[in-house]
Amino acid sequence: MIIIGEKINGAIPSVAKAIAVKDADFIRNLAKIQSDAGAAFIDVCASVEDSLELETMKWLIDLVQEVTDTPIAIDSPHIQTCVEAIKFCKKPGLINSVSGEGNKIEVVFPIIADTKWECVALLCDDTGIPKTAQERLKVFAEIMIKAKTYNIAPSRLHIDPLVEMLCTSEDGINMVVDVIKEIKAQYPEIHVTGGFSNISFNLPVRKMVNQAFTVLAINAGMDSAILAPTNQDLMGMIFATEALLGKDECCMEYIGAYRAKLFGQKK
Amino acid sequence: MSKIEEVKARLEAGKAKLVPALVQEALDEGSEAKDILQAMIDSMGVVGDQFSKGEIFVPEMLMAAKAMTKGVDVLRPLLVGDTSSSKGTCIIGTVQGDLHDIGKNLVAMMIESAGFDVVDLGVDVSPAKFIEAIKESKNVTIVGCSGLLTTTMTAMKETVQTIKASGLTGFRVIVGGAPVTQEYANEIGADGFAPDAGSAAVKAVELVKSL
Repeated sequence: MIIIGEKINGAIPSVAKAIAVKDADFIRNLAKIQSDAGAAFIDVCASVEDSLELETMKWLIDLVQEVTDTPIAIDSPHIQTCVEAIKFCKKPGLINSVSGEGNKIEVVFPIIADTKWECVALLCDDTGIPKTAQERLKVFAEIMIKAKTYNIAPSRLHIDPLVEMLCTSEDGINMVVDVIKEIKAQYPEIHVTGGFSNISFNLPVRKMVNQAFTVLAINAGMDSAILAPTNQDLMGMIFATEALLGKDECCMEYIGAYRAKLFGQKK
Repeated sequence: MSKIEEVKARLEAGKAKLVPALVQEALDEGSEAKDILQAMIDSMGVVGDQFSKGEIFVPEMLMAAKAMTKGVDVLRPLLVGDTSSSKGTCIIGTVQGDLHDIGKNLVAMMIESAGFDVVDLGVDVSPAKFIEAIKESKNVTIVGCSGLLTTTMTAMKETVQTIKASGLTGFRVIVGGAPVTQEYANEIGADGFAPDAGSAAVKAVELVKSL
């Protein structure tokens, strides 16, 4: 499982406060604990007013890079910010994200074409989030045509099929599962990602829903996840599920993660 | 770190994919095959000890043994004809009436890692089959009888006593399994007992020295 650590996000009140008062240690610590907890990328999202976004991104990315070599996931709804922030990064990371909306792909793909940068692509377009599996797969097909044009290998793409909250869903996660399976069938090398906690929004005891979702999503083929790697319950569930699915020879990953104190014992 | 030390470290960490290449590198650097083998046997001793103490889990021991097997594959062509490093043959099986083999397999694996050639007779093995295998195999030094069920303890007793009464010599008989104790081993006339796979290998080596 590729873990994208989600904790440095200005939409989280404590982070917004740290950004406002320029509390560098707070940000450094978030980077460090996520890196130690097994994150493959540290997501950085400023969530500040547009005029401050790029400089805030630079401040955040610099702080992360002071304490860890873990690559950055540049997270912004503004595609220009994503592209501009590439130059702040010491090594190739992840663009989070493009989608079928506007010209996002046309802006990003040529820039990352001949690099090792990876990219998250959401299955929505200018009409919003498609309601059916068929429509989402249509957005996917268009993304893949452009990926081919710019010679971006499927293994560099993390497709987010857009898991919506369970409390208002009519069929649970069945539709998304269909989408994931089809994507993986077409491109076995591609990554399928998503937020692992959005699903439980507005339900009691959210961690139950999140953990059950983890099992089902991994079973469907999700192999990349946007979550807080410091959440030991979720991390343990991920390693256990992968072992149960035969993706972990002799449970060595599970045991190794336990030994690294990623779950089951306090750091 | 010398190449041999690197082999040991990787083997103890269960890195089955890395060990064969490191063994080859150690050979290329001029190390003797038998020294590399001995280093790996020592490492498996460490692993067995960690397992006995509950410090590592079954899969970690399994992966170390896999690493050992793959390392030995590299050495095998160089060791052919050199019997000095072999500790002889170990005949092992789960006694008649008992179909459990997980513990027996772990013991077989660890004993093989300790430098024995292992003949695994499988499960539900009659005393006659043990005798036959001892007669047919070369240089038998250890016979291991396993059993998990309390109800098959009598079969273990019969097996050990049949082997002892057969007149065949040159080997030691060890017993093990959940209900088996040192007292029981003494009572039925076995030469040795071990509570787990790691200590079984140590016990086998120790008994062979006394032959």
